[in-house]
Amino acid sequence: MTSRIKEKVFFTILGIPMVACLLVFFWIVFVLSSGIGTLSWNILTTSVLKGGIFEMIIGTIYLLLGAAGIAGPIGILAAVYLVEYAPSGKLTRTIDQAINNLAGVPSIVIGLFGLTFFCKQLGLGISLGAGWLTLTLMILPIVIRGTEEAIKLVPTSFKEAALALGTTKWKAISSMTIPSAAPGIITSVVLGMARVAGETAAILFTSCVLVTRGLPTTPLDPVMALAYNLFVKIVALGEPPEKVFGIALVLFFIVIFFATAAIVLRIYYRRRQPWLR
Amino acid sequence: MLRVRNSKKMLHFFKHFKKEPIEALLFLCAFFSIIVLFLMLFFTAKEGLQAFFTFGIDLIIGQTWKPSEGLFGAFPLIYGSIMVVSGALVIAIPWGVITAIFIAEVLPFSIRDIIKSIIELLASIPSIIYGFIGVLYIAPQVASLFGISFGTVALTASLVLAIMSVPTILGVSGEIISAVPKEYKEAALALGATKWQTIRNVVIPIAKSGILASIMLGFGRAIGETVAVLMVSGTVARIPTPPWNFLSPVYPLTAVIAMQMGEAAVGSREYSALFGLGLILFILTFIVNTLADIIVKREPKIRSGKK
Repeated sequence: MTSRIKEKVFFTILGIPMVACLLVFFWIVFVLSSGIGTLSWNILTTSVLKGGIFEMIIGTIYLLLGAAGIAGPIGILAAVYLVEYAPSGKLTRTIDQAINNLAGVPSIVIGLFGLTFFCKQLGLGISLGAGWLTLTLMILPIVIRGTEEAIKLVPTSFKEAALALGTTKWKAISSMTIPSAAPGIITSVVLGMARVAGETAAILFTSCVLVTRGLPTTPLDPVMALAYNLFVKIVALGEPPEKVFGIALVLFFIVIFFATAAIVLRIYYRRRQPWLR
Repeated sequence: MLRVRNSKKMLHFFKHFKKEPIEALLFLCAFFSIIVLFLMLFFTAKEGLQAFFTFGIDLIIGQTWKPSEGLFGAFPLIYGSIMVVSGALVIAIPWGVITAIFIAEVLPFSIRDIIKSIIELLASIPSIIYGFIGVLYIAPQVASLFGISFGTVALTASLVLAIMSVPTILGVSGEIISAVPKEYKEAALALGATKWQTIRNVVIPIAKSGILASIMLGFGRAIGETVAVLMVSGTVARIPTPPWNFLSPVYPLTAVIAMQMGEAAVGSREYSALFGLGLILFILTFIVNTLADIIVKREPKIRSGKK
């Protein structure tokens, strides 16, 4: 009996680091929400030229949607290949390894690459398009891994049923497997967007400017983004952090919105799809 | 001999595409990651190697970094990076690993998902927000606690970085720990071992190399971290005196790139020196990530446990 009590005490102590994680999260939420007074509907909808942050919010969304629009299809198709088609061999292993490596490249290095390749080599300049392509490289591994998981969870009998009716392999996959995995796939894209919504280092030299006139009208125009403005204002211009609290807060909301959406989607669809239980 | 066999295999591979042309497209998308990595290496090296030709080994061991005077010795920057990251890992490794063990082995199932979700949210908070909070709250706290005039020092950077690397370490080692076959644990428990004895003598030894891999991934993540570190490290390109003085400002590698790239004219010596630093960083993280990957895949017990 005493040893069981001892173990209980011990496990309670072992739980402290986990509680610390939770405390850190809630502390961050608490700290940031103390700046909510600096926000108003007016600031959100006023142009940057008049002291608002409207174009920064829309610019951030533009960057996100574009990057997800490119990384989504490529990542999904890559995952389909890896799960359904790839022969087990050296090449497949190398692809697998490359995806892991891509996920581990520091964002500043991706930014440097974007600068020399997309901006200079491809001649895109500092532009929304260059930002899309740079962020694509960051979202891609997340989408591939998430989609792979989602496809693996679909029972093979779905696909086999279609094959038994005489369809081709691709037809079976595109009509049965992918639709059944769709919620998981969407979750992974949303998760990818959450991970790059506040990304700064990768767009620092590739797509953003502090102030420009209005929103970009073509992908070759530079864009204003929350993260970039926050960074430049604090680091380069030395503005006191309290003055840019609003930008930080809006950025935090956007990130948490996407991250929470991914989590809720996952839980919701796990409940709805009986084969996932 | 090997080549003949390989080309035969390749032929078989491409014949396959004829039957279903879509497969070629799928393959290309998967192959895209390899292309991107090659391009990345090629273009970073193209600019970065220039710096090594110009400055030689001085770029790595030189003691002074002063672009305005044409001095590009990155040793203090590399030292700054390693110092900040070691400080962070000293905190983050026990924090992350113990949390992973606790969640996988002790925490009741019913609340596991909600805790994991919160930690996932913690992981998605962007670097710039950590930097913002670091500047606004953590740095002043550090300053008043240790009686120094500025709180933006190596210690603050380590603290912020520790918080940021915990989710990485925790996530990977958590996955490995949950992959330990249930039979192993049940066997230990059936022999009369307590739960803690089972964790210590069965779970941890099996998951050991996976935990090591998670630490390496945490290291890779931490050393590449840019914006938050830049904001709270103080940006002084000097080795602290004494070298282990965590209360003095430093200027990590990544921070220098982010800070000075904007001003560097394309093709200038500074431009290529910064790419040289980027190349060092790229190769370093590439090696660490590859090793971590190999360690995880070499784990036969866990691989069989997953099935």
